[in-house]
Amino acid sequence: MKNPYNPIGAKIVKIEKISSINKLFTIKIKDEKTRNAFKFRHGQFFILSVPGFGEAPFGFCSSPAIKETFQVSVDKRGSLTSKLFELKVGTDVGIRGPYGNGFNRKKIKSRDLVLVAGGCGLSPLRTIIQDANLNPKNFQNIQVFYGCRNSKLLAFKSDYKKWSKNIEMNLTVDTPDKAWKNSVGVVTNLLTSETIKSDSVAILVGPPVMYKFVIQKLVELGLSNEDIYISLERRMHCGIGVCQHCALVGGKYICTDGPLFSYAEIKDTPEGI
Amino acid sequence: MTDKQLQDLVSYLIKNKYRVHSHKEIDGEILIDEIYEGKNFELCPQRPLYSFKKFLLPPCQTMMKFKNNKTIGVKNPDTKTILLGIHFYDLKALTLLSQVFEKDPYFQKKLRNMMLIGQSPIPAKDEDYQKFEEDILEHLKFDIFLETKSNNNQKSFRIFTGSEDGQRLLDNFGYKDYEHIEYAGPVPEEGLNITQKSLIEKIFKSKGSKIWKELNKKCIDCGKCSIVCPTCFCFKISDEIKKDKIVRKREWDSCFYEEFSEVSGEHKFLDSTEDRIYNWYDHKFVRIPKEYSMPGCVNCGRCTEVCPAGIDIRKNIKRIIEEN
Repeated sequence: MKNPYNPIGAKIVKIEKISSINKLFTIKIKDEKTRNAFKFRHGQFFILSVPGFGEAPFGFCSSPAIKETFQVSVDKRGSLTSKLFELKVGTDVGIRGPYGNGFNRKKIKSRDLVLVAGGCGLSPLRTIIQDANLNPKNFQNIQVFYGCRNSKLLAFKSDYKKWSKNIEMNLTVDTPDKAWKNSVGVVTNLLTSETIKSDSVAILVGPPVMYKFVIQKLVELGLSNEDIYISLERRMHCGIGVCQHCALVGGKYICTDGPLFSYAEIKDTPEGI
Repeated sequence: MTDKQLQDLVSYLIKNKYRVHSHKEIDGEILIDEIYEGKNFELCPQRPLYSFKKFLLPPCQTMMKFKNNKTIGVKNPDTKTILLGIHFYDLKALTLLSQVFEKDPYFQKKLRNMMLIGQSPIPAKDEDYQKFEEDILEHLKFDIFLETKSNNNQKSFRIFTGSEDGQRLLDNFGYKDYEHIEYAGPVPEEGLNITQKSLIEKIFKSKGSKIWKELNKKCIDCGKCSIVCPTCFCFKISDEIKKDKIVRKREWDSCFYEEFSEVSGEHKFLDSTEDRIYNWYDHKFVRIPKEYSMPGCVNCGRCTEVCPAGIDIRKNIKRIIEEN
């Protein structure tokens, strides 16, 4: 019987520091056949493990169009992520997945996108940003609204210039330093009837506190509940809808039904957001 | 089948290298234990305090081992196990678990090496016979089922088989007087009954109401109910570093523990007792019925019996039905 818990053998092939608290790992599946068969969609995630330090779910952070390797950005937080920060290029890791329902591809390609990110939330949205840079023809207009506490925490800073060729980048921080030239304040302030078209599709990735205000604003600006997508975070152990850690009361599982949900899908779920 | 024949069957099973587990009174409590001889064996009619779930879903089990960063095989001996005397509601629970863990190789391997022998409750009087006719038994996973009869205080059993393995075992033992019931899957054709269906709505409607505020004060989050519950199956996966190898293990978890919903940054999504106990009821009476078309509570009453705060699940469900 196939064991869904068996990790696929993979290797860390590159490690880059992308902000004061964050590192970007490039991962390659060792077996060629498995590597070629491994395909993921925007919005999906995988479970990464280091023997002895356990497993944890991570969102993909590179374009699905890149086949040989994929990337994950990691903040140093728990025991597994602390261990990851110590690892060197060439180390073996285990992966399981891809998991989650991913994003409706048609919607992504045929509509203007508003990507709202807070803190480390930019990483999973990078799958779309990078994809749009590689294949601009597959996308309509993309606007990114990204907020952080301070400019040191901004992820992928060195990429913004490159991204800006195809994508509108809007940045804001809570506490600016002297060199800061962009907006100051919460990301919600950047969303106005002048900046946002009401027939856009919005994807939000960030802390729950951001969701509440951003959703309210986007609804005010005329976006429909079906067109506002939120990525939900929960503790996960199995990734396949059994262990109950990521269950939402009422019957949805973040790991199998999400992690991306439209606001219409979860607005009546108590404590969903 | 007479009492004596059942004893002979137990002796036969032990002789044929089956490890037989059944429940009996030990120091005033009804507990499951291994049976080493058939002589004097008596089927215990009372409900064991713990259910049989640990035989299929051990409290802690090794999933895989790593040595020098390589996966090494886990030896799981194929012990042939008999669970003897499983009550109707515990069979229901095992039937549900076998659905939930349908694709789980650890669970399924244990189930393959296991024979489930069920028993009906002892009838109080002859006329009160609860008949386990096809419509009930056909939706339960079992190999052999013993329907208890008592005539003039003489106990005997009507025998059903629910699998080919069960038939083979009885044939080899030399007992032919059984009826076979074909397993028709876990769910009756009509799915959930009206009460079960309306309970899904009523639990949802009750969210935030007085009953949960009261339970918030009463429940002490000890998680005893989830340990004795035959359908509770939440688990966690973690690694343990042993001398020269690393063990990835799966352990029972409880949604009553605070860290159950904790994510990095110490945020807990189920951050009050009210949230946690509601989530427990939601799993039993909303999520499981929606996912598997079966109720997630088999009405065994164990959670009520062990609750140190005196929380009575039957009373609460009755109240939720009445108040919503």
